[in-house]
Amino acid sequence: MSLATRIIPRLDIKGPNLVKGIHLEGLRVLGKPESFAKFYYEQGADELFYQDVVASLYGRNSLQDIISRTAKEVFIPLTVGGGIRNIEDISNMLQAGADKVSINTSAISNPEFISLASNIYGSSTIVICIEAIKQRDGSYIAFTDNGRNSSGREVISWAKEVEQLGAGEILLTFVDQEGSGKGFDLILARQVCDAVKIPVVIHGGAGSMQHILDATKDLPLSGVAIASLFHYDFILHNRQIEGYEEEGNIDFLKSNRSLSSIDSKSIKELKLFLLDNNVLCRIDE
Amino acid sequence: MGFKRGDIEKQVHVMPKNVAWCKKCVVSNQRPKITFDEEGVCSGCRNALYRHSSKIDWDQREKELVKLLDQHRRDDGEWDVIIPSSGGKDSGYVAHQLRYKYGMNPLTVTWSPLQYTDIGFQNFQALNDAGFSNLLATPNGKFQRKLARLCLEELGDAFHVFVLGQTGFPLQIAKRLGIKLIFYGENGDVDYGGDPEYLDKPWKPIPAVDTQQNKGAPFRELLDYGLKNKDYLSREDFTESDLIFYDSPSQEELDKVGIKGMYYYGYYHKWSPQENYYYCAEHCGFKPNPERSEGTYSKYSSLDDKMDGFHYYLRYIKFGLGRTLEEASHEIRDGHITRDEGVALMQRYEGEFPKKYFKDFLEYLDITEVHFWEVVDSWRAPHLWKKVDGTWELKHPIK
Amino acid sequence: MNKPYKIAVIDYQISNMFSIKNALTVLGFDVEVTSDYSTIMSCDGAILPGVGSFPEAMKHIKELNLEASINDFIASGKPFLGICLGFQLLFDKSNEIEDTFGLGIIPGEVKHMSGLDAEIRIPHVGWNKVQRKQLPNIKNIFDPLKKINAQEYFYFIHSFYVEPADINDIYTITEYNDYSFCSSILKDNIFACQFHPEKSGRKGAEILSEIFNR
Repeated sequence: MSLATRIIPRLDIKGPNLVKGIHLEGLRVLGKPESFAKFYYEQGADELFYQDVVASLYGRNSLQDIISRTAKEVFIPLTVGGGIRNIEDISNMLQAGADKVSINTSAISNPEFISLASNIYGSSTIVICIEAIKQRDGSYIAFTDNGRNSSGREVISWAKEVEQLGAGEILLTFVDQEGSGKGFDLILARQVCDAVKIPVVIHGGAGSMQHILDATKDLPLSGVAIASLFHYDFILHNRQIEGYEEEGNIDFLKSNRSLSSIDSKSIKELKLFLLDNNVLCRIDE
Repeated sequence: MGFKRGDIEKQVHVMPKNVAWCKKCVVSNQRPKITFDEEGVCSGCRNALYRHSSKIDWDQREKELVKLLDQHRRDDGEWDVIIPSSGGKDSGYVAHQLRYKYGMNPLTVTWSPLQYTDIGFQNFQALNDAGFSNLLATPNGKFQRKLARLCLEELGDAFHVFVLGQTGFPLQIAKRLGIKLIFYGENGDVDYGGDPEYLDKPWKPIPAVDTQQNKGAPFRELLDYGLKNKDYLSREDFTESDLIFYDSPSQEELDKVGIKGMYYYGYYHKWSPQENYYYCAEHCGFKPNPERSEGTYSKYSSLDDKMDGFHYYLRYIKFGLGRTLEEASHEIRDGHITRDEGVALMQRYEGEFPKKYFKDFLEYLDITEVHFWEVVDSWRAPHLWKKVDGTWELKHPIK
Repeated sequence: MNKPYKIAVIDYQISNMFSIKNALTVLGFDVEVTSDYSTIMSCDGAILPGVGSFPEAMKHIKELNLEASINDFIASGKPFLGICLGFQLLFDKSNEIEDTFGLGIIPGEVKHMSGLDAEIRIPHVGWNKVQRKQLPNIKNIFDPLKKINAQEYFYFIHSFYVEPADINDIYTITEYNDYSFCSSILKDNIFACQFHPEKSGRKGAEILSEIFNR
C-alpha cells in the first residue's frame, strides 16, 4: 500500500487574518494566511484546508481573494469551507482556485444540496465537515455555524447519510478537543471510519506528534488536519505584527507568548517522526 | 387589573428620549451613565482607546501590582487575598495569575448562581481542580426567590438579587476572616459603561461599588418597599441573619479590618475577556458552552446561571440593550470584530428570547407566564417600543 | 527572443481551468483556455484536463465539436497531455452512471474502483507513488517521468480507473491497498495521467516542464 497519509494544515480565517480558537471559539489573530500557506507548502504540506470561521455567522463568504492569491504560489490541493450555501458559492470558490469545497451548515439544513453538488461537480469535489460535540449520554451530535448551533443529528448516522448522498470525503472535527492539545477522540474516529467507505480526515486536538502517530497507526485515516500544532510553531519564527488596521487584535502576537498545552512542531519534523515510526507520508525534498 | 410597578428604579428616569448609536461600537445612549462625545463616540470606546493606546505604561503598572501584593502576601499559612469568582473565565484568569504568577494565597469565594447550569458547575469545579481553595455560598433559597420576584417586578431584573449577594458576600467574608485585599477583574462601569472617573484608578471604595450596583435602590430600601407592597413577602420570610450576605459591611467595619476597597486586575494588566478565555481554557480546564448562549453569538461569557438570560432580556426591554449589544461592543473595542459585524450580529441575535430556561425561571419566581409578561410590558419604555400588528418592535433599531 | 511556448487548455465547460492555467503560467508558458479549433491547432502543446463525470464531459465535448480538435491536434504530433478525467476520456468507454463511449484514442475501458475491491475507500484521494512499466520507445516523443524516481508522490483524486487494452501503452502503475491500476499511459506524442501534475508540487511542475519544454 503506497497511499501516503495526508498531513493537512488547517487555516481558520476571519476577514484578512488567520485566527485560532479553542473549541472553535475565540478569534485570536496569529498572522496573515498567505504567509502561513507559503511556509506550509515549502515544508511539504499535502493539502491546505481553509475555513472561514465566521461565514455562517455573518451570512457571507469572503475567502475568494485569499484563495486566488494563494493558488498562484502554492501547487497542492486547496479545500475551502465556510459559508458554502449553494451551487453558485461552489462555482465561485472553484473558479477562485479551490479544488474542493467543504460544507457543513448548509448540508445539514438541506441534505439534498449534497446530492445536487456532487452530481454537478463530482463527489470528489465535495467534502462534508462534521463538527462533533459529545453529549452527556455519551452520544455525539453534529453542530453547525462553527460549533454554535446543535443540529440534533447524531454523528454516525449523519456520516452514513452524507456518504449515501454523494459526499466524496468526510472531515471530522472533534470540537471538545479542538485547540486544546489533548489529543484526538480516537473512539469517535474509529466509529466514523467503520461506518463509511469514503475517505475520512480527522481534525481537532493534536497537541503533540505522538497524538498524530497514535491516530494514523491504528486507524484507516485518509489524512489528519492540524492547526494549533503547526501555527504555534510558525509564529515562533514568524511574527507578523503589521497590517491589521482593518481588523484584528494582535495583543497575543505582540506578547511573544506561546501555548503551553501544545508541543508545537513543523510539518517536516512531524513527517520525519511519522516515517521513523512506519507511517507512510510524503517527504518533499 | 394587570400589574403596575412602583418607582424605586432610578435609572429609567434619566434615559434620553432620543436614541443615538455610537459611531464606533454598537451601544446606544440609553445605557445608564454612558456619555457620547461631539463625534458621536461613546465613553466606553474612548476608555477602550485609551486602554489600547501607548499612553499606559503597563510595565509600570505591573510594578505597582507587585508592590501592592508584596504588602499583602502572608507567609503564616493564612489567605491573603479574596477573589470573588464564579468559575468563569474572568475570575479564573485573575485567580490563576495571583496564585501562580505572583505567589499569593488566594481564597476564591463564589456566590451561588440562582440556578447552576451544567456547564457552569462543571467550570466551577474545574477551576477548583486547577488548584484553589474555594468557599461556595448559597443564600436562603426560600427567601431569595421572593426577593428575586420583587426585583423582577420593581427593578425590572430578577437577577439583581444575585448581584446584591455577589457584591456583599465577598466583603462579609473578607471582614469576618480579616482579609484586607479583594480583587475583581475588570471594572465593568469603566469598560462597558464608559465611566471616566475610575479609568485610571486601581481600586474603588466600597460605598461607590454599592451605588454602582444598586440601580438607585439600596438593598434595605428595596426590602422595605417589598414588605410594604407585596403580599408574597412578609417579615416571617427571613431573619436578620439571612440578610448578612446582601449587605456590605459599614465603612467603620471595613476600616477596622483594613479593607480599602475593591481592586481591579484590569487596571494592572491590559484586560481582554477573549484572552481570558484562552488563558482559562489553557490553564484551568475552562470549557465554553456547548451551544451558543441565547440572546447572543458567544459561548464563553456568563454561562453559569439558568436565570442569566432573563437579566439580559429585561435589559433589552428596559433600555433596548440586549446581550449581543453588550458583548459585541466590547469585542469591537478590542478589535476582534468590526462594527459592521457587530451590527450583523445584533440583527441576527439581539433580543432573542431565552426560552431554554423559561419554565425554570417561572418556577423559581413562582409566577405565571401571564404575570411575567405583565411585568415585562410594564418595563417597556414608551420612547423605545411600539406595537406593530400585535408585535412589539423597537422604534429605533441599530443602524 | 524565442516565441513563447503556447499551450491550449481545452475548455469543455465541465471543470476548473484555474489550477492548470496557474501552474503553466508560473512555469513561463503562454496559456490559452479555449474550445476554438484554430486556436487549439495553433498552439505548441495541448492539455485535456478535467474533474467531473464522464458522460457529462462527453456530452459537452460533442456539443462543442471538440473531438475534431483533439484528434487533429494529436495527429499533428505535438505534445498532448490528458489529466484525470481528461485521461479517462481518451479511452473507448466508461461505465460511469451509464455506459458511455469515450474518444476512443487509446484502446481500453474506464471502470469504477469498487471493481478492484469492494471494500476499498473511494475516491482514491491523496498522494501515491507511480512505478514505471516501460521505458519510452522510439515512437514516444518524450519521457515525462525522466527526472522522477519511484519514491516520488503525486496527487490523485478519482473514483474510476482505466484498463488499457494494450499493455504497451501503460507507462506507470500505482498501488492502492493490495491492488494496482494504470496511473498513466504514454503513446507517441500523448502522455495522460490519472494524477494531477498541477497539484503535485514541485515534482508535478517538473513533469509539465518535461512534456512541454523539450
